[in-house]
Amino acid sequence: MELEKLINSLSALMSVTGHEGNGKAELESLIGAGFDESFTDAVGNRFFVKRCGREGAPKILIDAHMDEIGLIVSDIKDDGFLTVAPIGGVDLRTLQAGDVVIYGKEKIFGVVGSTPPHLRRPDEGNSLKEATELLIDTGYSKEKLSELVRIGTPVGFKPVYRHLFGSRIAGKGFDDKSCAACAVMGISRVAREELAGDVYLMLSSREETGMFGGAAPGAYSIAPDYAMVIDVNLGKTPDTSKSETVAVGGGASLTLCPVTDRTMNKKLIALAKEKEIKTQVCVTGGSTGTNASAVNLAGAGIPCVDVGLPLKGMHTATEVLDLEDAESVAALVALFVSTKDLTEVTA
Amino acid sequence: MTREEKLQLLSELCLEFGPTGSERYVAKVIKEKLGDIEYTVDRLGNIIVHIPGEGAPKLMVSAHMDEVGFIINEITDDGYLKFDTLGGIDPRVMCGKYVTVEGKEGFIPGVIAAKAIHHQNADERKKVTPHKSMYIDIGATSREEAESLTEPGNSATFDSEFVIFGEDGAFIKSKAIDDRIGCAVLLDLLGRLPKNCPFDLYFCFTVREEIGLSGARTVAHAIDPDFCIVLESTAVADLPDVPESRRVAKLGDGCAISLRDNATIYDRDFVNFALEAAKKKGVAAQIKKYVSGGNDAGSIHRSVDGVRALAISVPSRYIHSPANVISTADYLSMSELVLAIIENGKEL
Amino acid sequence: MLDIFKKISAAHGVSGAESDTAGVIAELMTEYTDDIRIDNLGNLIACRHGVGENRKKIMLCAHMDEIGFMATFIEKNGFIRIAPIGGINYTAVALTRVRSERGVRGIIAPEAKTKPADFRAENFLIDIGAKDEKEASRRVKIGDCFRFDNDQIKLLGSRVCGHPADDRIGCAVLVDIARQLHGEDIKDDVYFVFSVQEEVGCRGSKTAAFAVEPDISLAFDVTATGDTPSATPMACELGRGAAIKIKDSSVICDPTLVDELIEVAKDKKIKYQLEVLLYGGTDTSSMQMTGAGSRAGALSIPTRYIHSANEMIDMADAQACADLAAEYIRRGE
Repeated sequence: MELEKLINSLSALMSVTGHEGNGKAELESLIGAGFDESFTDAVGNRFFVKRCGREGAPKILIDAHMDEIGLIVSDIKDDGFLTVAPIGGVDLRTLQAGDVVIYGKEKIFGVVGSTPPHLRRPDEGNSLKEATELLIDTGYSKEKLSELVRIGTPVGFKPVYRHLFGSRIAGKGFDDKSCAACAVMGISRVAREELAGDVYLMLSSREETGMFGGAAPGAYSIAPDYAMVIDVNLGKTPDTSKSETVAVGGGASLTLCPVTDRTMNKKLIALAKEKEIKTQVCVTGGSTGTNASAVNLAGAGIPCVDVGLPLKGMHTATEVLDLEDAESVAALVALFVSTKDLTEVTA
Repeated sequence: MTREEKLQLLSELCLEFGPTGSERYVAKVIKEKLGDIEYTVDRLGNIIVHIPGEGAPKLMVSAHMDEVGFIINEITDDGYLKFDTLGGIDPRVMCGKYVTVEGKEGFIPGVIAAKAIHHQNADERKKVTPHKSMYIDIGATSREEAESLTEPGNSATFDSEFVIFGEDGAFIKSKAIDDRIGCAVLLDLLGRLPKNCPFDLYFCFTVREEIGLSGARTVAHAIDPDFCIVLESTAVADLPDVPESRRVAKLGDGCAISLRDNATIYDRDFVNFALEAAKKKGVAAQIKKYVSGGNDAGSIHRSVDGVRALAISVPSRYIHSPANVISTADYLSMSELVLAIIENGKEL
Repeated sequence: MLDIFKKISAAHGVSGAESDTAGVIAELMTEYTDDIRIDNLGNLIACRHGVGENRKKIMLCAHMDEIGFMATFIEKNGFIRIAPIGGINYTAVALTRVRSERGVRGIIAPEAKTKPADFRAENFLIDIGAKDEKEASRRVKIGDCFRFDNDQIKLLGSRVCGHPADDRIGCAVLVDIARQLHGEDIKDDVYFVFSVQEEVGCRGSKTAAFAVEPDISLAFDVTATGDTPSATPMACELGRGAAIKIKDSSVICDPTLVDELIEVAKDKKIKYQLEVLLYGGTDTSSMQMTGAGSRAGALSIPTRYIHSANEMIDMADAQACADLAAEYIRRGE
């Protein structure tokens, strides 16, 4: 399958934090074929394993988080309206008048309500409604809706994808399922005997809701020798500076910071240059803001690199990425799982 | 037309491109739909179909073709499109939405974007981002690339799906229901007019309603009608968090007939006549219970020596957004309501 | 359960100083469990062994600690400066009675002329009625913890108020679950964990979960309600039954576990409601993510005026939580 199609198919699955298991069968059919086994752990991390076939080979962990931001139902009101609570850092500016799907016993289409200028009160000023103040319009009666939906039912953006000019694409859920697609693609390109070790692809749960991500218990139970964490990275837009972003179209980013492994970073950057894989570095003084920090400190510690796919409009229903960057990430994954002495310090 | 055909027609018209000043795309489709029916197009682009009724009073029935949208006013060095709005659009419904941009050749997809939430401070996150701080991302990476695709002065509309949803498909969601619904009803009515029509009829598809009720003004001047019926959609808020007194009208209770809005005080006899005609024919109708908005009646009723005006609107939630929501039944009843009025026209 | 609740609630247990409470609970639990121990942080862990073939480990957890104040300095005039322990709502606690772990009584008061908007630890003092520093320091040592001195009182119906409901009512629920299962064979191993230091960041449950390594974990704690005038909208009310947690700000519960709990409640006609809490965290999150993680959920007791000296609950809700959990355990995996 070509990368764009895989990105869109994975991203279209509803996987609002806590509900990563929603598209389990679809996920299996989309990517399962290239792996030897797959399993789910207690917190919803989904693992796909591709073995190299050698005894005592190292364990390599590739992490991309499966969950996405979204909403859950907090109450069912009269005339088929729902109130919701936000899950993760939903961009409030983008919700009103958007299309959503309520994943109850049946999939139900809904519209996020908005107030037209004709009926707006002057005292509302330029304030923005909180997610909890919004109403989702389903067009059902309360009775019928209550049969299909309960408090806690997840609500996701309706998946709609567009191919923009050149190699740019837009849609929901690219954070972080586009990276999952790149990881699958990268791993699939390396023949079993070429693998540097047994590869554990972890599509981790619960990244978007803050301090308690699934990556920590996942990495703890697998206890890999080293790891690559892949997540989307904030792409440069006209209203941001270069130092706080990465260039869209600039290739896969590698984060240089105290969390990530210096040896692996240096080797990867050099090797990528040799293989003409486009990379850029992203430097930060603190944490990576991704699962890398959790993976790095799991158990007795796991050396890791943090790879980013530049993304604009993060946490909206219309995130924009460049397929060429995605290709670079996939190539970097292939390089990572096929290079044998990555963690060895050379003179 | 069957129910399915009516829904298909509305879908086709709503999804067509036609922001204020760029109605030519939707106008082309309407002209195709008119087929053999004779029509004229005036200097502003209004389409007029005349169905003569000798000696009878002149009745103008109008709907506007334009929709709210955007106009590109600048292309940035890094290939983004800055824009102004065409018509009143709240910035709360723009950010993060798909748009269709009028390109140099055909249409191009884009996204209205702004600084990511991660780069906003706590204060910014609670406030509306004004449209001047947003831009359209079409995927171009440089000014040259963007300029090869489109140019300032070109316009854009929301790119949003037409969806029939809710219990038993009771509701419709789309962009531009305001006012393609009026256009759809006019097209439906053209094939269903009574033989001995008591009016000299003018069906008008007008331009530029969303900014200054402009197109209708010149048409009305040219026609000089005795009566007019404006077919519209009106903003309602029949929502659980809005007090009853501000809900305007209720979806599913039939089309709303206005007593007054911010542009027009409607002819009281005409309003009562319409309500009576609806009752007689068993068509649902409701009175709009709030004063808000304005429509083409505002310019029509003031033209020449004055026109007795009536507005029939399908109640719509969230208008001027990519997701207008109406009741399917209200839409289907609109033609019947207009027919009831025309059929009883002698008593007016 | 009310008597047990009152008894547990009366024991001192400000975060970090939970041993009195642990003692009271241990006494109650010994009869109902196979072994009982206190770990390095002070968590009380009692275990009932299951007899099932493929038995799983179920961890039930309620925290023993309560919010309060620690004496940090004694002024010349005998007033005591304090540091808060846990999240204190100063407007709610101004001028309430407090009692130290040594039994010294007093009231907590803001400095005169402090506007409510400026209320914080620095401008609050405990007044034990001492004449001067000398008298005060005979009764209070720096480091002594004060708790609210508000015994549980019965209001109308099955409603009770006092301090602390958070989370001694959870502890009482755990004791009641153990009582209900006493003498029955159960399939799975059930760990009753009475955790420490929840109010300062869910610290106790973390080490307990690491040691227990549960497959399934359930927290029992209080949750907010939306049933008082002008409350933030929340579909949770006193008296509407056990609140099965969907989420709070620290956790999204395992959706399958939520479904299983709903099913048991429906089957056994146990009153329940679903809880979406926008603010506040519980031990659920630390049990979910510690070690290799577990399938985690929570049964909450709807509570008004949380973190005040008058937390109000409905005992029927607590009973529903206990019944639901006991029934869930009886079913086994």
